[in-house]
Amino acid sequence: MRSVSVIGIGETKMGRFSERSLRDLILEAGEAAVQDAGIERSEIQALFMSNFNAQYLCGQGHIGPLAAEVLGLGNAPTLRMEGACASGSLAFRQALIAVASGLYDLVLVGGVEKMTHRSTEAVTEGIASASDFNLEAGLGATFPALFAMIANRYFHDYGDAREAMAICAVQNHENALLNPDAQLQKRITVEQVKNGLPIADPLTIFDCSLVSDGSAFVVLAATDVARAVCRKRLVEVVGSGHAGDTLTLATKKSLTTFAATVNAVKQAYAMSGVGPGDIHLAEVHDCFTITQLINGEDLGFFPKGKGAFAVADGKTAAGGPIPINVSGGLKAKGHPIGATGLSQIYEVVTQLRGEGGARQLPQADLGLTHNIGGTAATCVVNIFRGR
Amino acid sequence: MRQRGTLYTYTVVHSGTEAFKDRTPYVVALVEEDRQIRLARVEGYTEGRDIGVGTEVEFMAEDPGGQPIFRFI
Repeated sequence: MRSVSVIGIGETKMGRFSERSLRDLILEAGEAAVQDAGIERSEIQALFMSNFNAQYLCGQGHIGPLAAEVLGLGNAPTLRMEGACASGSLAFRQALIAVASGLYDLVLVGGVEKMTHRSTEAVTEGIASASDFNLEAGLGATFPALFAMIANRYFHDYGDAREAMAICAVQNHENALLNPDAQLQKRITVEQVKNGLPIADPLTIFDCSLVSDGSAFVVLAATDVARAVCRKRLVEVVGSGHAGDTLTLATKKSLTTFAATVNAVKQAYAMSGVGPGDIHLAEVHDCFTITQLINGEDLGFFPKGKGAFAVADGKTAAGGPIPINVSGGLKAKGHPIGATGLSQIYEVVTQLRGEGGARQLPQADLGLTHNIGGTAATCVVNIFRGR
Repeated sequence: MRQRGTLYTYTVVHSGTEAFKDRTPYVVALVEEDRQIRLARVEGYTEGRDIGVGTEVEFMAEDPGGQPIFRFI
């Protein structure tokens, strides 16, 4: 397998843009990534697209050719990957494998989602298709309900983590204040989170990630090709892992450790030869605040059951030993589902290049992205090193 | 005596999909019976009722999809 590097990134601001079309979002983020890479679009040999649910939310399928047309990619081959909320990093990993194998030297990966033009009930139903639609949603278990059950079991096994969950939300909002692409730039308090509109106990509206429109793109190249082209700090993909688990919550071996994460990160650490203590920053999948606590444990940053304490202790804040979600995360930067995994990569590459502006971390040479789909039924982890 | 189980975990849902939005607040749970865990809806919840992991529930019926419906005792 050849070494592969990221040479271009682009994303839209995340937000509520009901007047903007899928085409419009794709054009902005895709062009930005191609321009950032400093390549001609004719050099792009394939396009890997990610989208979760435009067929239901927008009536639009066949996103690959749509994006290729918008971006002027001619007859380049294109396909669409879907793995619920992990769609973006799933598309990224397929592109990575295609370049690493030697099939292509230079490819484009993109993700897009448009959600905010639909009612809350329609969006809730659309997201429910990432669980077992008949068995789980059909019984009344919404997505927040599934993660709320995970939270209540976590409280039972490891103690009340309500305060730490609220701190997660507060911290992600704090980080988003410095990210111009973030959907919400609003400071919140622990009390506001705890007393927010109840969604599924113990989760309030402030424990849930956002409903967003947005798009993000990444250009990948074989590292030997990248060296000749890239004018910025080269960001090599040094590790990648992908694992799965059962679709339904009731069939998982554990609710408070996500086996898909544990397996995916194990692969990524083995491939890269680094461990959790070496990572300078991580963008993790905070679909709900409880998820961020569990992720910190599953990725090996904190011992099992200690993730909540670590967050409450400031260990994951921008100034802490392992900054998590300096972008603002899904909670405050936003969660345009098909674009989310790629937007996480956008943030890590930005930080490794030293282009983070007001939110730039002082030390950023090794970064990790963690993206899950459903109730952690799909997980992709990537590790990046600045060269 | 009816078949009984206990709550392995649970939540009170306040915001439902289109099909359930008029039924809130309602409880969904993972119910443990003889070491088997199944997703279930639990009927008979009223605001403020004290429920938690380990609370006993009683089997009522299956929903049209074959999923179990329990009720608080």
